[in-house]
Amino acid sequence: MKPDDEPLLQIRGLCKRFGGVVAAKDVDLDVRAGEIVGLIGPNGSGKSTVMKLIMGIVRPDAGSVKLAGEEIAGLPPHRIARKGVGLVFQHSRPLQRQSVLENIKLALLPDSLIQLAGVPGIDDRAREIAARVGLDKVLDRRPSTLPFADLRKLELAKAIARDPRVVLVDEPFAGLTQAETRQFSDLVRSFRDQGRAVLLVDHNVKSVSALVDRAVALYLGERIAEGTAADVMRNETVRRVYMGGSLETSYRPQSSFADKEATLQVKNLNVQYGKAQALDNVSIHVHEGEFVSIVGLNGAGKTTLFNAISGFVPYTGEVSWAGQSLKRKSPARIAREGIVQCPETRELFTDMTVRENLDLGGQHLAKPQRAERLTWLFDLFPILKARQSQNAGTLSGGEQQMLTIARALMTNPKFLILDEPTLGLAPVILEQISKAIELLRKTTRITMLLGEQNVTFALPHADRVYVLEHGRIEWEGPPDRFAAEAGEGYL
Amino acid sequence: MRDITKTPLFWFCILCIVVASVLPVWVSGYVLGLLTVAYYYGVFAMAWDLLFGFANEVNFGPTFLIGLGAYTAGIVNGRYGLPITVCVLLGTLAAIVGGLLLALPALRVSGPYFGLTTLVAVLILQNLIVVFADLTGGEIGLTVPDVISIDARANYWIALAFMVVCGAILWGLSRSSVGLILQASGQDKVQAGALGFNVTKHKLAAFVISAFFSGLAGAMLVFYMGTASVGTFIDLTVAVQIIIAAVMGGRRTIVGAALGSIFLVGMTEVLRPMGELATLIVSVIALLVVLFFPNGFIGMLTRKEPA
Amino acid sequence: MLGLQIIVDGFAISALYALGATGFTLIFGVSGVLNLSHGAIMVSAAVGAWALHDLLAQNAYIGATFGVVLAMIVSLVTYGVIVRPIQVSRSIREEEKEIFILTATLLWGIILQEVIAYLFTNNAKSVVPIVDGVVSVLGVRIPANEIFTAIICWLVIGLLWLLVNRTPAGKAVLAASMNPKGVTLLGIELNWIYIAVWAIYGALAGIAGVLLGMFLGVSSYSVGPLTASAFSIVVLGGLGSVTGSLIAAYVVGYIETITAYLISPAYRFIPSLLLLVVVMYVRPYGLLGRR
Repeated sequence: MKPDDEPLLQIRGLCKRFGGVVAAKDVDLDVRAGEIVGLIGPNGSGKSTVMKLIMGIVRPDAGSVKLAGEEIAGLPPHRIARKGVGLVFQHSRPLQRQSVLENIKLALLPDSLIQLAGVPGIDDRAREIAARVGLDKVLDRRPSTLPFADLRKLELAKAIARDPRVVLVDEPFAGLTQAETRQFSDLVRSFRDQGRAVLLVDHNVKSVSALVDRAVALYLGERIAEGTAADVMRNETVRRVYMGGSLETSYRPQSSFADKEATLQVKNLNVQYGKAQALDNVSIHVHEGEFVSIVGLNGAGKTTLFNAISGFVPYTGEVSWAGQSLKRKSPARIAREGIVQCPETRELFTDMTVRENLDLGGQHLAKPQRAERLTWLFDLFPILKARQSQNAGTLSGGEQQMLTIARALMTNPKFLILDEPTLGLAPVILEQISKAIELLRKTTRITMLLGEQNVTFALPHADRVYVLEHGRIEWEGPPDRFAAEAGEGYL
Repeated sequence: MRDITKTPLFWFCILCIVVASVLPVWVSGYVLGLLTVAYYYGVFAMAWDLLFGFANEVNFGPTFLIGLGAYTAGIVNGRYGLPITVCVLLGTLAAIVGGLLLALPALRVSGPYFGLTTLVAVLILQNLIVVFADLTGGEIGLTVPDVISIDARANYWIALAFMVVCGAILWGLSRSSVGLILQASGQDKVQAGALGFNVTKHKLAAFVISAFFSGLAGAMLVFYMGTASVGTFIDLTVAVQIIIAAVMGGRRTIVGAALGSIFLVGMTEVLRPMGELATLIVSVIALLVVLFFPNGFIGMLTRKEPA
Repeated sequence: MLGLQIIVDGFAISALYALGATGFTLIFGVSGVLNLSHGAIMVSAAVGAWALHDLLAQNAYIGATFGVVLAMIVSLVTYGVIVRPIQVSRSIREEEKEIFILTATLLWGIILQEVIAYLFTNNAKSVVPIVDGVVSVLGVRIPANEIFTAIICWLVIGLLWLLVNRTPAGKAVLAASMNPKGVTLLGIELNWIYIAVWAIYGALAGIAGVLLGMFLGVSSYSVGPLTASAFSIVVLGGLGSVTGSLIAAYVVGYIETITAYLISPAYRFIPSLLLLVVVMYVRPYGLLGRR
């Protein structure tokens, strides 16, 4: 590291709002030549936005991005790319009908309409790059026949081909095995050794700690910590964001539930997205009336697991509810049988009023029943009563989340799945939702599966906890043992 | 790039061309006439495939470009008596200018709106031709004084050579670096941009190239037929035929588009004894191909899943 | 008096346009499908009504009812046999489904057109009007059928509005147009909604078709222009916006009528197309389009 040098990439006061959501707020960031910096933060922290702002895919509202002293903010992506910024995408979309070699050659082409015949020596350069990333054995294969790790290497090869001075890598290790991760790390290090500036964007410090010279943590669009990986991991704010403060837990043991055989059984669940293994042999169970939390970072597979249970994604393995397989049932049928999901995307009817949203949830109920439920829900979330005739789209994020839960409860579910209800919400809202969930646990017979990356929120409501990491269940146990047995690994 | 002479498709094409070029020895002038038109349609369909298959832009108005080329060439010839080559060039130029005018706003929008814009362009051209009937012959049609040749065989060979040359150029283009960049832009604008490619520039280029070949073929076809009418050059049914030919033949193959056109014209002829049912049967066959063999003839031929 | 004539004529033709385009936009709004067999469905209804009256000697009411029912059946077949298989197909890539649906519905429209031409020839057919005669309003003689057309169109549009905004089933349809996944999450099968919407669409297109048959007459050649006019109205109004379509229908209807009366019937379609181009340049998403 040469700390005295002027940073190759210098970001000052970068701001971006999407509607009412602040995705990046006054972000400063420096990356020097020959340095690897990790940009970390939980889902919704704004790290991906910052990456897109640098690349020009999203235009900043304010702030400056300088590449070797030259302002590049506001330029279109292809100009920024030509100036020397490369982006390794997490989801690669190679040209399917061309070979690996041709895909690499694509990245070597000039942005010209005249150079039809190609560039002299391009073949050799492409082969050389392929050899460097370890794709030399599969040059003539089509991308669709490659394993996932090779597709990631292909993305890396394309980035190398552009010979960028600054390399942005999105989720470098997502979906890779340990051996593949090591190989990938070496390639990223070689970028540094060639004097490039490298920015790794990832969810947690742990996965990139061995690689980065420095880490910057973001939360809700703001920078909350900076330093070595160890510094950042020790940082109080970071720990609070990831782990929460002191945790209070109160759980009911499994034996306290009436059903001997757990009512929801997920056995050996596997889900593939194209080449990527989203869920790897996942088995969980939930007793009737039990509140179970699935804890894991974004990308760990929580949403996939819930979507498999709800019937939205195809899977192998078995999901059964009260002894009946859910495999061949449509998502709507599963919902009608009482397994109702509140997805993290909320899926509200934004141009309809709060009341209309709720009525749709209770559309199959008889009138008196519906009125009764509505009263009960308005007690649970009083703010919704006041907002009844307002369009759902005009609600604040917290109110929308409450409406999502309320709308699901209107259907009178037996089993409620909450996916990341805390995403991007202020603490005061969290408390209200927290109270509502506690009330459900104490006063109803409902069963609940809660997916969270926010442990502070997930543990107090849980009778039992699973930790999901890279599509695998890594830990299972009561919430009070979480901090000691699984907490450190989670950061 | 792999050696194309080793692919079965290449040899299949060569075989087809050889058979086609000796065909005048056996078949009647009537059949030659049909095939001549089919070859020009083949160029229309190939030009469309470049835009859809590679740049991933659905152009519902290929006949806007074709019509501009055909009518400009025809009018210039009829009014000013310029030689055919000059007329064809002017027609092509008009198609390119029209293509640019159409593409510039159309490329700003995405999804169905691009297609809609191109569709509207066709409707407008169609109406303008009827309105300016003095110049264009309106609904009756435009008669062109000059023709390429009065010999059916000569016309046939010219059309065949024209299609083969256009096909080779378009096919080569689709395999060139520009073709690669176009495909990358069509597939994912963001990633292509991040690789340093100006997506708009390349798509615009694809539009201009498509306009060039459409206009050129349209202008040539006028001088083969000796007349131009809305029904033969501009009507939406013509556009539909071109699109269906390209989809039936196999998208993203260029060659497939030409095969599809010849098939369509051939089928309609074979079924002519069926009278009014002919169009119906051809449409049903086309629909079945679209529903059950979405990769078209070339897809069936190569038995590979190109998607 | 010409002014009044234009107002009355324009109103009736616009109402008809509005009804046709409403169905078209409803289907797009709820299921994202641009149905290019629209004109064929309208013509099927009109020809069905005509055939029952003129060939089978049924009365005008039975004929009209049959025409509408026929359009509903054809519409459901369009969905079940053409659109749905493409939507669930695994061998067609997601981003290409749109072009496949457009191509397939276009072909389907041609097939219907050819079937009609084969069975009943290409000749223009007039459906016998349910109401006859001429009414004189402020000295202008108006065919009663014209008034009847406008009333029925607005009645049906009004009923549709009530159905969508005031009934639980309609609310579900509306919800599905905003967020299909949200509807599924509440246990409502999207497929039911789609089938219901295609049936409603069939009824709307059918009524519009039968009225058109009474008003102006149809032939198998009307298929293309009818689709195109619904298309341009819907684009002008903004895809998926029913209000936008209604406004656009009146804008187009009146511009056409004014042009036809004041300039020449031959120029009838040109000003509205030019307007469409201007809108595409200035507001590419239509008058009230979102996105």
